[in-house]
Amino acid sequence: MEDIATKFAAYLAHKMPGAANVTVSGLSRIHGGASRETYRLTASWEEEGAPRARPLILRRDPVASLIDTERDLEFNAYRAFHPTGVPVPEPLYLETDAKWLDRSFFVMEQIEGCQAASPFSPDPYGELAPKLGPQFFSILGQIAAQDPEKIGLAATMEAPALDKCWERELDYWEGEIDKDTLIAQPIAKGAVRWLRRNPPPPPKRLTVVHGDYRTGNFLFNDQGEIKSILDWEMCHLGDPLEDLAWACDPLWAFENEEKPGGLLPREEALSLWEKASGITIDRKAFAWWEIFAMVKGLAIWISAGKEYQAGANTDPVMAFSSWYCTDVHNRLLAKRMKAIAEGEAA
Amino acid sequence: MKPDIPVVLQHSFGKLLLEVAPHITAEYAVGNTSVIGLMMFMSATEFERGAEVRASENRTMRAIFDEAEGLVEDAGLQAKLAEAAKGQETSLLLSDLDASNDALKELLIELQSVIEETDSPQARALGARIWAFLSDAADARKLPYPSLG
Repeated sequence: MEDIATKFAAYLAHKMPGAANVTVSGLSRIHGGASRETYRLTASWEEEGAPRARPLILRRDPVASLIDTERDLEFNAYRAFHPTGVPVPEPLYLETDAKWLDRSFFVMEQIEGCQAASPFSPDPYGELAPKLGPQFFSILGQIAAQDPEKIGLAATMEAPALDKCWERELDYWEGEIDKDTLIAQPIAKGAVRWLRRNPPPPPKRLTVVHGDYRTGNFLFNDQGEIKSILDWEMCHLGDPLEDLAWACDPLWAFENEEKPGGLLPREEALSLWEKASGITIDRKAFAWWEIFAMVKGLAIWISAGKEYQAGANTDPVMAFSSWYCTDVHNRLLAKRMKAIAEGEAA
Repeated sequence: MKPDIPVVLQHSFGKLLLEVAPHITAEYAVGNTSVIGLMMFMSATEFERGAEVRASENRTMRAIFDEAEGLVEDAGLQAKLAEAAKGQETSLLLSDLDASNDALKELLIELQSVIEETDSPQARALGARIWAFLSDAADARKLPYPSLG
């Protein structure tokens, strides 16, 4: 830790030529966040003779990750959304030169006085749930309402044809399953074949998809205000229903299919999202994306298990994700597919 | 072997969670300790049921292959199904049961892919039978989650 603090202080001094005596204190690694090593810290320095300090977050690439993403993608998403009113931390520096901290990293503002809930708690928000729920689904709708071109993300992200959104995502995540699985996956593979046989109708327009919008990936304060949406590393352009289905996945609600995120009744959540996004949900398409969400989840948990088994990343979260989350998604997905197969056989 | 391994794992989970984690100050270490404890709790169940769950799944898949033989036209797949249907466990080591479970599931995927392309009531019924098996098997593998309330 001391080594990182010293090296990071040197980096900040390089980035802030007007600052003198830069020091880093309170460096502490945050648990979770298996796709990046995340640290909170306070930077202190002197500028024009006056002492200054700022709490910061440092996100460094890991040796092996739960998901494979580029850190500039996440940094660009923060930069694009920061001026829009969607609550995100201010992004400060993106560094790809490994000479500073051995691996690439980026730096952003630390949102103080807030917490993130555990996605694996039966009641993660307690009495704050009715206040947080409407914000959670309205902010997701606001993300979908943004014009990717206007906020500068269209230039840095691939724009699939509307009728190819589903296929691009399914190809990618099936590829991850095939690449990383260590055992046969009849549930995931059976669901993938069904998804291919029953493609969804295309979205009306292409939107920014956060990619991992869920319980655990936003910060809220004791007054029940959402102050920041985090973890944009899987951000891309696509069908907005992909995000909504992921946010509503029962894994993030202790398997409660009728109270997405453990926050609100399902229909109320969907209605709030429609109002904020200006998009009417096509229920058939949404059902497709719900099944896709479970397949995507399985792909992520399978990859985590492979990294852990190989010893590439022995963070206990990697093993836990691969055990517990695979167990939940396999059960939920098999139940859904069983009902479909019974309907086809009747 | 006494104490029973699940008992050791469950008590160790309790010690980690209630007596070790509260005395750790680093956030990352507290989180890791809790997750390790949770996995010990889950391992207790898996230790007890692991062999039975796998052997039971293998028995059911072999029964499905036996039923499916007549529905499949491809001679190569028919032969593989017949061979697998006759199989038996030769070892109760979890690693061996996992290996046979994996091989049987690969064959199940092959069978599912073929019958999904077959338009007949029998094929659809078999498809539903396979999904019912997969759903039951997933339920039987459900991991326990401790009540911390």
